[in-house]
Amino acid sequence: MSRLSTVLVRVTVGALLALYAAISLYPFLWMVSAAFKDQFEVAAGGHLIPRHPTLRTLTETWNELNFFDYFLNSLKVTGLTVLLVLVIYSAAGYAFSVLHFPGRRALYRLFLALLFVPGVTVLLPIVLLENRLGLLGGHWGLILPFVNGTAPLSILLMTNAFSVIPSELREAARVDGAGELRIFATIYLPLSRPVLITIAVLTAIPTWNEYLLTRVSLNDPEAYTLPIALYDLQSSAVQHYNVLMAGALIVVVPVILLFVAAQRYFVNGLIGAVKA
Amino acid sequence: MVVSTPTQPAPSRGRTRYRGSEVAWGYAFVLPAIGLFAVMGVYTIVYGFSLSFASWNGFAPEWRWVGLRNYADLLWASPQYAPLVHQAALNTMWVMIAVPVLTVLVSFPLAVLLNSVRRLKTVLRSVYFLPHVTSGIAVYFAWVYVLQPDGAINLLLRSLGLGSLQQPQGFLGNPTTALPTLIVITVWTSVPVAMLLYLASLQAVDPSLVEAARVDGASVWQVTRRIVWPLLRPITAIVVLLALRDSLQGFQTFLVMTNGGPGNHTNVLGLQTYRLAFLSQLSPTLGLSSALGWLLFVAAVILAAVNMRVLRRLT
Repeated sequence: MSRLSTVLVRVTVGALLALYAAISLYPFLWMVSAAFKDQFEVAAGGHLIPRHPTLRTLTETWNELNFFDYFLNSLKVTGLTVLLVLVIYSAAGYAFSVLHFPGRRALYRLFLALLFVPGVTVLLPIVLLENRLGLLGGHWGLILPFVNGTAPLSILLMTNAFSVIPSELREAARVDGAGELRIFATIYLPLSRPVLITIAVLTAIPTWNEYLLTRVSLNDPEAYTLPIALYDLQSSAVQHYNVLMAGALIVVVPVILLFVAAQRYFVNGLIGAVKA
Repeated sequence: MVVSTPTQPAPSRGRTRYRGSEVAWGYAFVLPAIGLFAVMGVYTIVYGFSLSFASWNGFAPEWRWVGLRNYADLLWASPQYAPLVHQAALNTMWVMIAVPVLTVLVSFPLAVLLNSVRRLKTVLRSVYFLPHVTSGIAVYFAWVYVLQPDGAINLLLRSLGLGSLQQPQGFLGNPTTALPTLIVITVWTSVPVAMLLYLASLQAVDPSLVEAARVDGASVWQVTRRIVWPLLRPITAIVVLLALRDSLQGFQTFLVMTNGGPGNHTNVLGLQTYRLAFLSQLSPTLGLSSALGWLLFVAAVILAAVNMRVLRRLT
């Protein structure tokens, strides 16, 4: 191939990659743009770069529209969900991969079979059940179903991770007199740190964004998480896109930061989950 | 998603003599997971399944048992609900055809191109991944914002000299463009994972294979078409089946962006299930919603079975 055509190919490839980067970023660019405009400029529409950029929309959304409180609620729900997922399913994974007990395979298969139950099929019974248990409307009413919802994937990833840890380690510890709890906590968990982080990230991101169960569960604005607060903002009578986009920005920025920080784990986890 | 049992360290089962303490620890370790599942899983599944044979509005003290009537009503019998379900099924079918095809058409070339560059690869991969990690109400609102009548998309079309493609009612307000628009946005959110899967397998393709073909005079295009594409067929199968599953079950984009409108032009089966459960006030539609949910479940199981077969043939 001649020099010129090599350059041409390179430029074309670069242009196509840049084009899709622009498509990926497109709604985010306008989200940021609108969040830094005042209500007159956003209504006028037009240009991407604000002519009179202002921080007021963001600060007002954060302070006066209580987005700081909603942020804390989201943090609480997501944090507790992640914590419970890690505790409950690392223990289950340990049992499924290391311990021998009757019914082990059947239980394991049962959990994996749950992957096939569509979320919308159990949404209504969950709401009815929680209503009866008095959980509906509170944060635990969200956390418990979220945790249970991650069961198949978390168990799959944990069991696979623990299965590759050589059993000699466990035998040696047993000879030294260590019990199961100690072996689990001091050998298996520390060796599986990457998988634990992967599960944490794979749980945190969808939980932070969750909107379907949240919308039909929460009634009290005090308990609102960010996605439902955002929904409320949109359905309120006066609709200003700068305020709506400022709220949207507050929702997506933490997720983007988390993703950038834990990208390696996220990517490996996704590939592992699909290929398993 | 294909599920395989991981390599189990237990060589013989059944004949193994279990150690008492280990059995106790085993149950102790799975107990929290089982307990939560018993309440949130078993109970809801059993409850939801029985509800699909009853008529109830959520407030009346008693269910009225109707047998299979809910299923019949949804599929053909009810003049009120059957047409809704039929239209939703038709819309879902369009989504299930268009989303997998478009996702492959975008993500495979994208992965090949990305794999061919050395610089900026990681940065670009992260950028391409944003639509997936942020997918949710915030981003859908941003799309609504750029798609409105005086929004950025119409503006962009005008400045590119494609003014004739503008939508004066907004892309979501026009019955003919609403569904295609939602399909494009669904593709936009499903490309990242597909691209990532292709990219990971491209990096695993034996480079000597490609080099040998290049030495024999094959062009990049021929190598991609005749060697890389066939090698990655199992990934394509996974991508297609993930997209099929999401198109069948997912409806969040539809709920947030159009709520099925205008008219019922963007109503899909998942959304219809949700509306019957939560958005039909005092009408006794909870049983109908459950029944529709279980019909979706059956469809999902059939898809999964096909999934396994296709993959087994390809690998």
